[in-house]
Amino acid sequence: MATRTNSIGSCSDFRMSRRTFSKLTALGTAAALSGIGEVGAYPTKFVDNLIEPASAAPAAPGVDLVKSHCSHCALGCGFLGRVEDGVCTGIEPWVENPINRGAMCSKGTSIAEMLNSGTRLKYPLKKEGGKWVKISWTEALDTIANKVKEIKANYGPDSIMWIGSAKVTNEECYLFRKFAAFNGTNNVDHQARICHSTTVAGMANTWSFGAMTNSWNDMRNSGLIFFCGENAAESHPVSMQHILEAKNRGAKFIVADPRFTKSAALADQYVRFRPGTDIPLIWGICHEIIKNDWHNKDFIEKRTYGFEQFKAEVDKYPPEVVEDITWVPADTIRQLAYDWAHPPREGSPACICWAMGATQHTVGTQNIRSFACLSMLMGYVGRPGGGCNAFRGHDNVQGATDMCVLSHWLPSYYGLTEGSWKHWIGVWNEHAPITFEEMKAKFDEHDGKSLMHVKGLTVSRWYEGVLDASVKQPNPVKMVFVWGHSLNSITEMKRMKKALEEVELLVGVDPHATIAASLADRDDGIIILPASTVFEKDGSVTNSARQVQWRNKLVEPLFDSKPDMWIMKELADRLGLGAHFTYDSPDDVLREINRGACVIMMRQSPERLKRQQEYCCAFSCEDCQAKSGPVKGEYWGLPWPCWNDEHPGTPLLYRNDIPVSEGGNEFRTRFRGADSTPGNPVSDDGVSMLGAAYGYSEGYDEMNCDGTPGSGWKFELDCDWKEMIAQNKCPSGAGKSRFRAWNLPDPVPVHREPIESPRPDLVDKYQTYDDMEDHYRVKCLFKTIQQERKNLVNDYPLILTTGRQVEHMGGGAETRSCRYLVELQPEMYAEINPKVAMEIGVKHWDYIWVQTLRGKCKVRAYVTERVNNQTVFMPYHWAGWFEGVPYADRYPPGCAEIALGDSCNIICVDGYDRTTNMQETKACLCKVYPV
Amino acid sequence: MTTYKFLNVIERCIDCGGCFAICKDQNHVPEGTARVRVVTINEGRPGEKNVAISCMHCYEPACVAACPTKAISKREDGIVLTDKSKCIGCGYCSWACPFGAPKYPHDLPPELKEYEGLMDKCTFCVQPFEPGKEREPKPRCALFCATKCRLGGDIAQITPVYTAMKAGSMGRLQERI
Ligand code: SF4
Ligand code: SF4
Ligand code: SF4
Repeated sequence: MATRTNSIGSCSDFRMSRRTFSKLTALGTAAALSGIGEVGAYPTKFVDNLIEPASAAPAAPGVDLVKSHCSHCALGCGFLGRVEDGVCTGIEPWVENPINRGAMCSKGTSIAEMLNSGTRLKYPLKKEGGKWVKISWTEALDTIANKVKEIKANYGPDSIMWIGSAKVTNEECYLFRKFAAFNGTNNVDHQARICHSTTVAGMANTWSFGAMTNSWNDMRNSGLIFFCGENAAESHPVSMQHILEAKNRGAKFIVADPRFTKSAALADQYVRFRPGTDIPLIWGICHEIIKNDWHNKDFIEKRTYGFEQFKAEVDKYPPEVVEDITWVPADTIRQLAYDWAHPPREGSPACICWAMGATQHTVGTQNIRSFACLSMLMGYVGRPGGGCNAFRGHDNVQGATDMCVLSHWLPSYYGLTEGSWKHWIGVWNEHAPITFEEMKAKFDEHDGKSLMHVKGLTVSRWYEGVLDASVKQPNPVKMVFVWGHSLNSITEMKRMKKALEEVELLVGVDPHATIAASLADRDDGIIILPASTVFEKDGSVTNSARQVQWRNKLVEPLFDSKPDMWIMKELADRLGLGAHFTYDSPDDVLREINRGACVIMMRQSPERLKRQQEYCCAFSCEDCQAKSGPVKGEYWGLPWPCWNDEHPGTPLLYRNDIPVSEGGNEFRTRFRGADSTPGNPVSDDGVSMLGAAYGYSEGYDEMNCDGTPGSGWKFELDCDWKEMIAQNKCPSGAGKSRFRAWNLPDPVPVHREPIESPRPDLVDKYQTYDDMEDHYRVKCLFKTIQQERKNLVNDYPLILTTGRQVEHMGGGAETRSCRYLVELQPEMYAEINPKVAMEIGVKHWDYIWVQTLRGKCKVRAYVTERVNNQTVFMPYHWAGWFEGVPYADRYPPGCAEIALGDSCNIICVDGYDRTTNMQETKACLCKVYPV
Repeated sequence: MTTYKFLNVIERCIDCGGCFAICKDQNHVPEGTARVRVVTINEGRPGEKNVAISCMHCYEPACVAACPTKAISKREDGIVLTDKSKCIGCGYCSWACPFGAPKYPHDLPPELKEYEGLMDKCTFCVQPFEPGKEREPKPRCALFCATKCRLGGDIAQITPVYTAMKAGSMGRLQERI
């Protein structure tokens, strides 16, 4: 088993590891556990001495320690799988991994249990006459492929919806997007749509890239950490290690959230604000900063655009106005403004962090825009300890986003224009012949336009593609692939259930049955394929900090499960596309990605990633940089942009006080008004978009390989950019970030009340958007439903907001199947304030109904002061009940999760982000009453 | 001389349950019992604190004194271990232990029936639930602790770490009050 020997946790073969892991008896733990100071787990002396790995001796005879990464959040904590005779018998701490230093939360530490879970799918199944029938892979794949052909012939390629996954490797994500393209449709999407699509849109429209600008380790350098809609103690537990370290070093930690979360419990200050009022809160802070003249004028002048228009908007939000909207006292806003402008740690900037608390709103994109503006106002972006840190969700959701398993992009954020298609078809053509014309012929036309260039349906509203006869494509959706996605994380579950019952064939591909198998009331027309877990295959994953890590296979696929790449290849063969999906290994796929993914410069070769893994102990936990050995100077995971095979990666985006060759970066000259010319990008109102560059020289436009201005850096495959980088030039240009994003519905964010607002008096003043006839191919109502429900608060007096439990993840199919986690968190509940409990006459853990306009959920009452008496909180990981009725009997026998409960997404609101179609789960109105 | 101990920096515990789950995994602790659990006080309001509680491997273990069959003993290195073959499941040790560490698992699956009702608690990972050959003391709960707030090891080595972490945390705490 060559792979396994190679992938033995080589750190345990290092001298380093022998000092840590094998001698990480209790004796050694003090050093390894130290959260203090630079030394942390690694004696510097040792790291300096590190030259090469020692011989690959296994940890004990017959025991392999294989390096891998957790699959339950976007930190990507490393661990060592303990593999004995081909069986994973447990895990051991990988203490040299610079991100987590061995630490893991309950989900991570349960990995071996989940991998070996008895409720996993064991073989392909189809539902026939109301019964689940075991079928062979051949039969399953033949049936599916024939149906795909039939649907394409009868209705066209857009009548198939491809729902992909953020829980598979970069290579599989990339192939999935490519697969959809070869199937002639843009109806392909995945979880990023419903977790951070608004982050990407908000940040990318501000300063060109949509990813977390800094990293968790970098937060150790922060002077102030401001959480707005993030509960890291539950959603990204191990990140708290770095945050608490910053706090220990003197940083202030502030948590703003509608709910007193577990993170809030650890904070220096907790600020409770009303769900859906992030923008006024941030604008209140900005207002005070500008009023007191604390803002960073130098940065604003040199590196930003549109400050005046931004100021004009912010002027409308003095603290008293904000207090009325947000619940936050005016004085608190003044104090927050002071703190933001004067972080208590001398010389250290402040950073703002968020997750779905901020993204899942009708104004999600604008929320994120406001955070970015707050950061720009003080010039905190592009500095160690500063920046905007979006904590993403799944282990590979950054990677899946980069690979653009999304209906409006091609891999690496290429749009759907002809130029972009030609770029990728050029790359694909190197693998097997394909021309632009051939690709175009695969796509249908609608309204006289090739659908090749039209954004497809999204995960958040794919079911409308089935149900809405006016869908903007030739025919409604007739077949759906749910390929690694928990459907209970999507709102409007009643509509979705109906859609699942209407399609001709529903295909689920997942290690678990999930509600793809059980939600629909139907006797036939479901096929479920057992996919391998991420621990049964090799591949790279990108964490939220853009760090790419290589995950090794721990064991061969259990039962009759198969890796996604294999399943895709088999389907491709049957669809006559086989030649385009023939790869020897994930490594080959990654090399193809390396070649084409220029926009993000994803040039981390498999060899470099594996070398980093081998020399993990050389990397410092402080800045994630290697201090010795053959990887010296490199940053962990070679965070993109990684310009060429010598580049160390870019740990902080937009940091231009260090040379590009050492990880420096500039705002791209991405935003170009109509009057722009190569070399001279201007805004829509004619202002130059060139910013101040490295060493504060004049900015410059993006360039071609020969150094002339142009967008060649995105398209020239054979250029290594070494010449420009040697001259400290960033090939993507040195431009400005934008306070005013002229292409968005609100160029400068404005407050807009949620669809269901508890403040009828504010609804007219802060109206939501106009309805949209075509929002990713389906109709989307805003103003109409907001007006209809203007006085809803009279009948539904409480605000419903949703969120995380530390023990569960996403739709919870894996974690609710894990005995340890279920012991910790066995049942679905809704948090209500003691006052509310008293009013409706229920005790802790009694059953209650939570009802909204959409329906109701039967859950336990969790009586707690975490929520105030105007708010109800529900975790969103639960499924297996529908409005109080269990449907465990609809799962394939033995495949239901151990713990089932009602899904809050049955009742969440039908509001969607105006830009990305993100669903609004964080603010709607409900009522609660005893069962 | 080595003396193994746990120290918990309660200002840093986030109640993630990592310690609970890894202990189950490592030591095959069956459902319904646990060697380490996180206890939360003031849940949902300012002053909320979590602490992971297990056997603390006391310097003068009250359980050892209370045990009528001498099933519990303290090793040279400070680790308090139970000999399940001597335990009669009387529960005296639980009366004596200030932390409620000793547990008496019940409703066990058939393959574990012989341990029904017999005392089980943290062994510093030396013994899993079903006793076998003694292993090295590597406290997985501490090694995996998400925020490094649970320190486990030689008292001489973990004390300075504890002190430094605690000082940082306490400084902030005062500012908050
Ligand atoms: S869920 Fe996140 S924090 Fe927990 S172990 Fe996995 S990667 Fe680490
Ligand atoms: S030291 Fe080992 S046995 Fe004791 S609580 Fe921790 S994990 Fe469990
Ligand atoms: S692993 Fe650490 S942080 Fe998590 S609950 Fe246990 S002691 Fe607390």
